[in-house]
Amino acid sequence: MNVRYETLPVGTVVILEGRLDFGNAAGFEKQLEQVLTGASRPASLIIDCAALEYVSSAGLRAFLVTARASQRAGARFALCALQPAVREVFDLSGFSRILTVYPDRATALAQMPAGRA
Amino acid sequence: MKERRTGVPGDAAQLAVLTQFLRDFWSAADLDPTQVLTFELALEEIFINIVMHGSQPGVTPWVEMSLALAADGLTMTVEDNGPQFDPLSLPPPDLTTSLAERPVGGLGVFLVRQMMDAVSYHRVGARNRLCMTKSLAG
Repeated sequence: MNVRYETLPVGTVVILEGRLDFGNAAGFEKQLEQVLTGASRPASLIIDCAALEYVSSAGLRAFLVTARASQRAGARFALCALQPAVREVFDLSGFSRILTVYPDRATALAQMPAGRA
Repeated sequence: MKERRTGVPGDAAQLAVLTQFLRDFWSAADLDPTQVLTFELALEEIFINIVMHGSQPGVTPWVEMSLALAADGLTMTVEDNGPQFDPLSLPPPDLTTSLAERPVGGLGVFLVRQMMDAVSYHRVGARNRLCMTKSLAG
């Protein structure tokens, strides 16, 4: 999986490309923990899933742990632009209800107020 | 080509080998490409479960996967020679809990049961056998 970061005034956008699975979920989780607690301390973390093709329960676990870490760090956490296969996994697992998911990146950004949660 | 079988050691690094085997079967049988991810997910969840729970100190289980096409769809069977373990005996996760209360584990097998049409477990001799079937129509 490719991970790119874009730092915007409202927060950090994390752009995922490829597969989030057992092989890379733990490392991804650690990276995001560092982003949340690092020098930049973003006010929000927006996970852009437009190019994320696949997520397994290991990936869901990474999102859940990061959502909780965001809460602790006082940052908003949201995902956006889920592909149908990823959306199905979110819906079946109930994650669509416990995490904030926006249809696309523009909507997500528009919902992020300036400043910390 | 209606049925194929392969085997690997129950080591997490071997998941890529089984996934590639599944994809090769998929393209050789000319199956609907939009449905391969469902089987890839089921394979990952079940295989990683075996890696995590099927190993004993110093012993890596052996895992065999077979893929069989029939009128009712594709059946993926995963067998291992680890200790007896029925993943279907795990209680389903409580999907109504909040972000803070939600346990981080227990989702994988639940997802497999939701996505497949039929899932069954049998202890066959010294092996665990899990069969998963899903229709490929529509």
